[in-house]
This record gives sequence, structure tokens and C-alpha cells, in this order.
Amino acid sequence: MYRFYLAGRYTFARPVSYLAMVAIGLAVMALIVVVSIMNGFLAETRSFLRGTTADIVVFPIQVRSPYSRESLERVVREHPDVRGACARLVRPAVWKWHERGSIVLGNSRDATHMQVIVLGVDATAELEATKFASYLADVRDPQYAVLDQHDPFALPLSEIRNATLRYADLPTALMSEVMMSSLGLERGDAIELVTVPDQALELDGKAVNPASQTFVLAGGFNTGHYNHDQATVFIDRDEFRRWCGTQHEASEIYVAVREGADLNRVRDELRASLDDAKLPSDVETWEDRHHIWLGAVENERNILFVIFLFFLLLVCTITFSVLTMMVQQKVRDIGILSAMGATATGTGTLFATCGIYIATVGGLFGLITGTLLALRINDVKDAIESAFGIEVFQKEVYAFTEIPVSIDHLLDVGIAATTVVGAVLICLIPAFRAARLDAVEALRHE
Amino acid sequence: MSELAAQPAVAGQARAGEVVLAARGLVRGYRMGREQLAVLSGTDLELRRGESVAIMGRSGAGKSTLLHALGLLDRPERGSLAILGTETTKLRRGARAALRNRQIGFVFQFYHLIPELSALDNTLLPWRITLSPLQWFGQRRQLLVRGRELLAELGLGDRQRHRPSQLSGGERQRVALARALITSPSLLLCDEPTGNLDERTSEVIADLLFQVGARRQHTLVMVTHDRELAARASRCLLLSEGRLHAMDASQHP
Repeated sequence: MYRFYLAGRYTFARPVSYLAMVAIGLAVMALIVVVSIMNGFLAETRSFLRGTTADIVVFPIQVRSPYSRESLERVVREHPDVRGACARLVRPAVWKWHERGSIVLGNSRDATHMQVIVLGVDATAELEATKFASYLADVRDPQYAVLDQHDPFALPLSEIRNATLRYADLPTALMSEVMMSSLGLERGDAIELVTVPDQALELDGKAVNPASQTFVLAGGFNTGHYNHDQATVFIDRDEFRRWCGTQHEASEIYVAVREGADLNRVRDELRASLDDAKLPSDVETWEDRHHIWLGAVENERNILFVIFLFFLLLVCTITFSVLTMMVQQKVRDIGILSAMGATATGTGTLFATCGIYIATVGGLFGLITGTLLALRINDVKDAIESAFGIEVFQKEVYAFTEIPVSIDHLLDVGIAATTVVGAVLICLIPAFRAARLDAVEALRHE
Repeated sequence: MSELAAQPAVAGQARAGEVVLAARGLVRGYRMGREQLAVLSGTDLELRRGESVAIMGRSGAGKSTLLHALGLLDRPERGSLAILGTETTKLRRGARAALRNRQIGFVFQFYHLIPELSALDNTLLPWRITLSPLQWFGQRRQLLVRGRELLAELGLGDRQRHRPSQLSGGERQRVALARALITSPSLLLCDEPTGNLDERTSEVIADLLFQVGARRQHTLVMVTHDRELAARASRCLLLSEGRLHAMDASQHP
């Protein structure tokens, strides 16, 4: 009985115990906040890296002759974990305003803005297998939105702003809302896309003839990924083939996999199925495509683990110091307790209990304050910024509008629990010393 | 019979005339650098229930060492020591602690109270040590009554909630006495109980020691330099060269 009772009296009667609790609490709190922010950053970074990439992408190795798109899609769709697949044609191009003179690539800035990746897609298949529908729906300004999200490439002739082009039977294209708004383009405007046709590559020693085609903008899209949006144009897959004269039916197959399926397993099985069907292809998950960056993200987690070890070391040092000090101050009490009939084990348990009290209260304090602070970190940031007139979080640097936070309660409890266990374990050393003290020596202690 | 009184004593309560303490040939020394210093060299002592003995001797003669050995805080190198018929020198540490808790009460010169506890909580400390949490909460009400009654008996009825730092030296020593008596031990060991008090307060403490001892039939062993206090004991012994010798307290220098 006296162990818990006296431990409570010893612990809560001493200001240094409260200091230790606060120190442990602050360490746990800081770690939880750092972990929550880091997790938020990691989640945002993964989302950023994933971008508009499908779960799995199939890259047909079409060295001798183009593969049949239907065959590729059929083999892919036969896999039980595949919930959708759509073929895309991909071609780099430069674009220019219709009837505004020649393409001038006078400097690196303009050249960058003129380069785009043109994706030839089947709108119906894209709507089924990718997030194409949300890209179209997420356009913020209605003046850039497509008129019919189920048939995004459709555009009534009356919408074509240049009257002379209305009866030219021109194909349509989708440009991102970001590009359209920054370049002053509107729905119904015409652009020209210029690329190198497949045939030109076969003309050894002869001049390359660029393939140029005028497209009317049927509207915009918004994937939320700036880097993707500022350099991507969607056109209809059949128009794509006519535009650049390619015999290929698919540059890549975007594959949507069922929720919870193991992407690596599906990738390997798809690769095997395509090999069996005499359609050898490279198959990559989205993580394969970004493995270097994702490796860096994982490395951040390892750094966090190292930081956690340092925090744990700090907490253990604090608790050890406080408890050693307490034992030193209570040597005579140990003698008194022995004289009253306390055993060495009882005395040791008493001081270990002091450590448990300090660590538990500190850990709980840190867990609660850390979780609350992580939840309200952006409010705290705003308060600091308005109070001191400084910018704590630079949006331009991180490309996030606010500090990203992802709170993992299980992980936070784990951090607090590990800290408490670490502190309690280190307390056993001074507690053991207390237990070993000779009663007579303790009574004579000055 | 109250529930507390029914608590089984570790070695059984002493009956009238029974030998409470029997020490034979106790030997205890200390190593001082390269020299072995003999403090107790064959000390004998036998005490019966209700008897009081004062042990005198010059500083460094080994009085406190003897008291610590008799109180089972220290283990003699040789000799035998029986408390209520139980030979203690071969007992394990836990059994010695239990015997100390229930049959031996200590009163120290410097009170040795726990500063974080009130007078009442200090008094009840031996019970807290011996009882499990369940036992404590089961008997808490009775124990509190008993502690309050004991403090009131020692003149501290209105000081029960005070901490040691809020008490005078005499009051602290009375709390220490209450703590020593709370488990109704058979043996009360006092190490210069008035050594840190003024003359008048010393008299009060001495009166309490002997009055309560007479009422409760404790066996009292008291180490002191105070001849008047020693003269009140039924026997007075001089510790010299590691052995106890009968003496007349009034003749001791």
C-alpha cells in the first residue's frame, strides 16, 4: 500500500517532478506534432507523385509491328482484379495560336510554354477507367468547362468563335483550365498542334515534315496537378492517329485495379498474361514509376525514427536525473522505511512507481496536447503570423495552401506508450540503487 | 476484540514475564581502512516483558550499533539474537522486515519523520507498510481512529493534520513515539530520544515513554547520555569494550 501512496506523495510534492512531467510532455507533444506534419507532407507528396498516373500502366513493346489495341485491352481486362482499362496514344508536340504567324521559340521560357504532351484518348473508356470525369467536373470557372461531360469532345458549331472555321470540320481538343486562363484562351478558340509524323522517321536522309492540325478547344479540365495540367492536351484517339499518321493503336494502357488488390502481384500477373498472349509489354505500378522519389519519402520516415530515438533519449535522461535526485534526497527516508519494516523490494518499487507516475502523467499530457496542437496547427500558425507579422509557412515553397497534417492516433499512442515505457525502464536503475541501500547507512545519512 | 487486535503478530505477542529479547555473544565490527574495528565483542542481553533498560557509554562505544542489531536493521557477524523466541540471525530479509514491522518500534534522536506526510499519516506508516491496498481500505476507518486516539493520548489531538515542518521538536518526537507504538510492538528501541530536545521537553518525552510503557507493558531499550533519564529505567547498562556491564546511572560521569 505504502509504495503507491508514498510514491504519489513524493512525486506530487516536488516541483522538479512537475518539471520532468512537462519536459516529457513537451517532448511527446513535439514528436506527435512533427510526426503528424511529416505524415501530412508524405501523404501530400505521395498524392503529388501519383498525380494522374493510373494504378498500373502497360507499355507495349511494339518493335516490329503495332499491337492490336483490342487484344491488349482484352488481355488486361481478363485479370480478375482489373476493374477498367483504356488505351492511350501519346505524342510530344508544340502548339500555337491559330493564324498568329509562325511558332517562335525565341527563348527558353516561351519554348517551355509551347511544349505539350498530346494524349489521344477514347472519352467513353476514359470515363469508365480513370478519373477523367472528375477532371472535367473539377473545372472551377464555367467558361472553361466542357458543354457535355459525357461527350467532352462535342462542340456545337455555334460555339466556334472564328466563324470562318465553323464549317471546316475541325477536330476538338481539351486544354487544362490552368493553360486556358493563363494564355487567354476560351472554349471555341482554335489552336494548332504540331508534331513529327511517324512516316517522317522512315525517310532516311530527307527533311522531316511536321504534321500540323488545327483543333478547336471544346473546353478545359482540371486534375489539380499543376505540372501535369500546364503541359497536357487531350484529343480524340482517332483524330490523334489521323493527325500524326501513326499506325499504332496504343502507346500505353491505363489500368484501374480493384480497391485493396496487391498492385505488385497484379503487375506481375499482367506481365505474364501479356507475354503468354505474344504481346510482350513493360508493366509498371505507379509506385514503380516514382520509385526514386518514393524511396526518398520512405527515407523521411527513417529520419523520423532517428529523431524519435533522440527524443526518447532526452526523456530517459530527464526521468533518470529527476529520479536519481529524488533517491539522493530520500536516502534517510529509505532508512526510516526499513526501520518501519519495509523490504528492499518495497523500497525499490516505491521509487520505480515515482518514475511511472512522472512518465505516465508526462506522456498523457504530451499525447493530449500534441494531438490538439496537430489538429489546430494551422490556427496556431495563423495566430503566430498575425501576432508577429512573420510568415511561418511559405505556400510558394511547398505548393500547399496550408500545413498538411495527417494524424495517426494509433501511432501517436504508440509514441506516448514507448516514451512512457522507456522512461519507466530507465527509472529502474535509480530504483534498484535505492533498494540496495543499507538501512543503517541510510539512517546515518546527513 | 477489534479487528486490528485480532491481526496475527509475526512472532506472537509477549506474555507477562516472557523473554522478549535474548542476545548471546553478539559480535559486530567495521573495517576502517586496513584496520578491523571491533564494536561489539560478545555482547549479551536478556529482556523480559515490561522491563526497561538504559544503555550508556562514551561516544563511539557502539551503542547505536547494538541498537541497530537488536532492531534487526543490522546483522551481527556472530552470536544469536532471539525476539519472542524466534532466532533472527538466520532469518531471511523479508521475515526480518516483517518481524521489525510488527514487534519492534523505533524512536530516533532526530525524529526521522517523513516530511511529506502529516502527523497522522506518519503515525500510520507502519500499518501502510504491512497491509496490502485491499487490507488497508478494508480497515482504514478503524486505523484512522486508532491513530487519532494514540496521537491524542500523546497530547497531539489538535496537531494531526500538521506536517513535521509545522511541529516543534517535542511534538515531532511525540509523533515519532506514536509511530513506534501504533502496531503495539513488544520491543521499543529508542536512540537518544531526548538528545535533541531542551530540558523541559525532554522531561515530557521521558514521562510519556515510561508512562505509556508502563501501561502497554512494552519492553524498552534506550540508548542515552542523559543520566536522569537512564535512572528511570529498571536497569542501567554500560557498553564498554564491546560488552555490557551493569552500572548505577547516578555514578556514570
